[in-house]
Amino acid sequence: MAGAAAVNGGRSPVPLVALLLTGCSGIQSSLDPAGMQAGATFRLFELMIVMCGVMYGAVLLFLGASVWRVRRQLAAAPAIEPADPGLGKGLWAWGGVIVAGLVVLATGSFFVERALAAARAREALQVRVTGHQWWWRIQYRTPDGRWIETANELHLPAGRTARIELGAADVIHSFWVPNVAGKMDVIPGHTNVIDVSPHRLGWFRGQCAEFCGAQHAHMAFDVKVDSPAAFDAWLAQQGRPAAAPADAIAARGMAIVTGGACGLCHVVRGSAATGRAGPDLTHVGGRRSIGAGTLPMSRGALQGWIAQPQALKPGTMMPAVPLDGADADAVAHYLETLR
Amino acid sequence: MNARGAIAGLALIPFLLAGCSREARQLASDQPQTAPSGPADPRTARYAANFYQVSQGGRYFTWYGCGDCHGRLARGAANLANGSRHAVEALYTAIAAGQSGAHSDYAARVPAEQIWQMAAYLHDLSRHEPARNRRNALDQQGEPQGNRWQGPLQ
Ligand code: HEC
Ligand code: HEC
Ligand SMILES: [Cu+2]
Repeated sequence: MAGAAAVNGGRSPVPLVALLLTGCSGIQSSLDPAGMQAGATFRLFELMIVMCGVMYGAVLLFLGASVWRVRRQLAAAPAIEPADPGLGKGLWAWGGVIVAGLVVLATGSFFVERALAAARAREALQVRVTGHQWWWRIQYRTPDGRWIETANELHLPAGRTARIELGAADVIHSFWVPNVAGKMDVIPGHTNVIDVSPHRLGWFRGQCAEFCGAQHAHMAFDVKVDSPAAFDAWLAQQGRPAAAPADAIAARGMAIVTGGACGLCHVVRGSAATGRAGPDLTHVGGRRSIGAGTLPMSRGALQGWIAQPQALKPGTMMPAVPLDGADADAVAHYLETLR
Repeated sequence: MNARGAIAGLALIPFLLAGCSREARQLASDQPQTAPSGPADPRTARYAANFYQVSQGGRYFTWYGCGDCHGRLARGAANLANGSRHAVEALYTAIAAGQSGAHSDYAARVPAEQIWQMAAYLHDLSRHEPARNRRNALDQQGEPQGNRWQGPLQ
């Protein structure tokens, strides 16, 4: 595209179109598929664009032709009388073209649905994702039947199918990773299932796609598609309890997390913090972002989040816990070392 | 719709909108940091009369695991739902200061705002009709309970 733009200079619309199209690739785009399901729906989308483009072109062609005819014979009588048998035939033919177009689209849709449903028969990695106001709880089932929990960061092995069971703790949310698959609503009291088979490695972005309250826009998650070996290593690491604090400041942070307010809502596996209301913090330092995609992960961002979550994500269910500067710093340091 | 119907419909809108203020909330961070100063504390009315604060109180009551002993609708240990302790500030003190032997002082572990909200919730329980309490319990079924979380997916 860049080459085409250079050749055309500023004279044709191609550079403009190329500029617009750069918005289509990226980490949160259904036009840049990185998985089987997104690919299948994207091909259906292409078929629809081509089909409708052809129809639209035909309509414009007929319109142009008739305008041209009318201009040529302005003074003369209309060329087609309502009784003209050609008119009836033409309308029938036009109807036939429309039906044929719809049949092509319906057939395409049928085959895409079949391809999506076929994934259900495959052996799959079992994952549970629960929508909370406003973050995502994520659990993986290991081959030996344990569940390993994390939050706000979904890792998937490339070339395998993951069967994601979706539940909601409070209100309706919607699970959407456009590069990998379509949307699926997350409904309280009901389990929805979506299969995802990503094949391109990389980081993508998921987002809640159903308005769910004040911080709906800050209910995102990172998605990492890994090679199967890297995924297995990551999962094994997630399954381990938290590392013991390495220095005195971290030890002070740990005492505050387990003995203070944090431990009533958060779990740090292997410590006395056992609350389940908020995200699992056992390996929080290894995640890419804080607060469901609100801030990038860093010690400073952690400290800011702990000191004043309501200022960064107004309305979030995590309360501000009064801590003095040194304590907040110690907690941030401790959390940062939980990798 | 005829014109008279339309006018009647429009006239109804302010009444419908009046209901919205019952859940008014402020998203800025002006959270209370201290216990009630007494029955006349203006914050008492702000929490007790606001449905958002009351329902948040119900939520945190579940999250902090109070239901483990008090039962989901607070009818277990020391029936909290019978209205014998009405005043928000008395409830605040009971939660914050601890109950000899029964539970530790939550003031050390729960930020003041959540104690305010839970006090407002407990204050409100005895005034709720049973249907709304059942609805409340149903709404909170999928939520985490203390250090247990079964989740909505079984
Ligand atoms: C009332 C329960 C509650 C308490 C107490 C609490 N948190 Fe949270 N915490 C939450 C919830 C809920 C979230 C998710 C918030 C969101 O993303 O909207 C959260 C999010 C977080 C996150 C971001 C995690 C992620 O993966 O995005 C960190 C870090 C965190 N809390 C640390 C702490 C620390 C440290 C304390 C104690 C000083 C604490 N929390 C106290 C409920 C709580
Ligand atoms: C370990 C069990 C347990 C837990 C957990 C617990 N409570 Fe209690 N609570 C009790 C018992 C038992 C009593 C009665 C004490 C008495 O009568 O002396 C009580 C008394 C109370 C009272 C005073 C009731 C009255 O009429 O005097 C309040 C208010 C209260 N609890 C609120 C809470 C809140 C809010 C939570 C959660 C943050 C909580 N409790 C968690 C066991 C528990
Ligand atoms: Cu949402």
